[in-house]
Amino acid sequence: MARYGMVIDLKRCIGCNACTLACKQENGTPEGVHFARVVTREVGTYPATKRTFLPVLCNHCSDAPCAEACPTGATYIRPDGIVLVDKEKCIGCRACNVACPYMNRHYVAKGMLKHGYGTDGLTPYEAIKFMDFEEGTNIKCALCAPRVDQGLEPACVITCPTDARIFGDVEDSNGKLQRLIKDRKGWTLSPEYNTKPNVFYLDE
Amino acid sequence: MSSSAGNEGEKVTTQSVGIANHRFAFGYYRQTFWNWLIGVAFFLGGLGAGLFVLALLTDHTAGMLAGYLIVVVGKNTAHMLFLGRPERFWRAAMRPDRSWIARGIWAMGFFAVSGLILLLPRVLGPAWRLSDWLNGAAAAVAILSAIIIMFYDGFVMNSSPGVAFWRTRLLPLLLLMYATLGGSTLSLTIRELRGEVTPSFLPNLEHGLLVVNFVLLAAYLPRMNRSLPAARETLRQWLSGPYTRAFFGLVLLVGLLATLLLSVVQNHVHASGLVLLIAACELTGDFTLMMLLLRSGLFPVQTAAAYSERGI
Repeated sequence: MARYGMVIDLKRCIGCNACTLACKQENGTPEGVHFARVVTREVGTYPATKRTFLPVLCNHCSDAPCAEACPTGATYIRPDGIVLVDKEKCIGCRACNVACPYMNRHYVAKGMLKHGYGTDGLTPYEAIKFMDFEEGTNIKCALCAPRVDQGLEPACVITCPTDARIFGDVEDSNGKLQRLIKDRKGWTLSPEYNTKPNVFYLDE
Repeated sequence: MSSSAGNEGEKVTTQSVGIANHRFAFGYYRQTFWNWLIGVAFFLGGLGAGLFVLALLTDHTAGMLAGYLIVVVGKNTAHMLFLGRPERFWRAAMRPDRSWIARGIWAMGFFAVSGLILLLPRVLGPAWRLSDWLNGAAAAVAILSAIIIMFYDGFVMNSSPGVAFWRTRLLPLLLLMYATLGGSTLSLTIRELRGEVTPSFLPNLEHGLLVVNFVLLAAYLPRMNRSLPAARETLRQWLSGPYTRAFFGLVLLVGLLATLLLSVVQNHVHASGLVLLIAACELTGDFTLMMLLLRSGLFPVQTAAAYSERGI
């Protein structure tokens, strides 16, 4: 069985946030919820400054602390490594929010699904997409599981204009991801938290 | 060096890491998911369970009733108000083998039943008394479950790896000791206000717990200084940042020192007004500590060693 993950090449990322928008469009998440986002940082001292970009999403950790912390079993790891939430089981205790060191869990607060972006009501698109969510429960990046199940790649991957994101089986020793991780010394976010993320970064 | 991140045009060096004001910004992220309702629930749970245990051990019905109501009504109401889907709360009890939240729910269930068995004959009359054997078993279960309620929140926080400041085994011990302290303070207060005789060991226990809690806090902070960067940043915020006044003023000065001094005076004076002031001081320090632990928690900076060292 494959273990799905992603490699993100920071040398290619231009911080355009196309992944952020593609994710919003694919998932139709409520206002303020971003399954994919780009953390922007300014470094250096004027005039020698530059802006750097770190695209982040759920790391679909092998030792996912959110799944471990969930008291109801609503958060679970599929055999292919994708970390999902069963909204019917979620009680909104937010233990997963506190457990995730990457801030990649999102709580749908009361009233959040009653308004869309810039409007009091919902657009027809939002009205349909918001049916996937339930107020008082937690949501997260599903690595576009419905697309993956159809043999497609996640929305953020196909949208990236610089091909900075590579999706695939991180455990396939002959696969592209393993080769990139080995050749270019791929690393993960906050390894000291021992969550075994399956999203790797390249900067060499 | 520290600065707030995410502000356009601000000079930022590779060493500066501040608090990110939104999720697209670089920096530490504040823990905002567990709010004051969880603080109230944890605080009331420790306080009520501590009071119940001490009252049961000293055969004090008013204390038992107050402790029982604080836990069963106060703590559970706060939890229910906090939950996004309170009607599904029972689901949280499904994984006691893995989750401290589930263990806490089981403990509260056992506490509610066994406490009721103990309280009914005391409040409504001996006709409600069950057999001696069942009463003894209920007392044992009530004490055990109350002790779990006193410290399980520490393990709930401790098993949430996102917030590094909670990642020490000292936290459950600290919260257990604070729960016992809160219980002894309330026990003394209720007895004094009702004009009842106070067991001689209770004031001494109170003094001892104040010292023990100070020592535990003194041990907790250096441990955090050797922990992950997010924990060190929280520690910095306690000692010389936005939480300094709350920590030194309310937790240490009011919650421990003033409580100790006033309770020593109370031993000689015995004034109802003073005992209320002692309770106000101790409970203020106790609640402030809980809220500080929750509010000052930080998630780590979204980076890795390699990324940050190169400053790219």
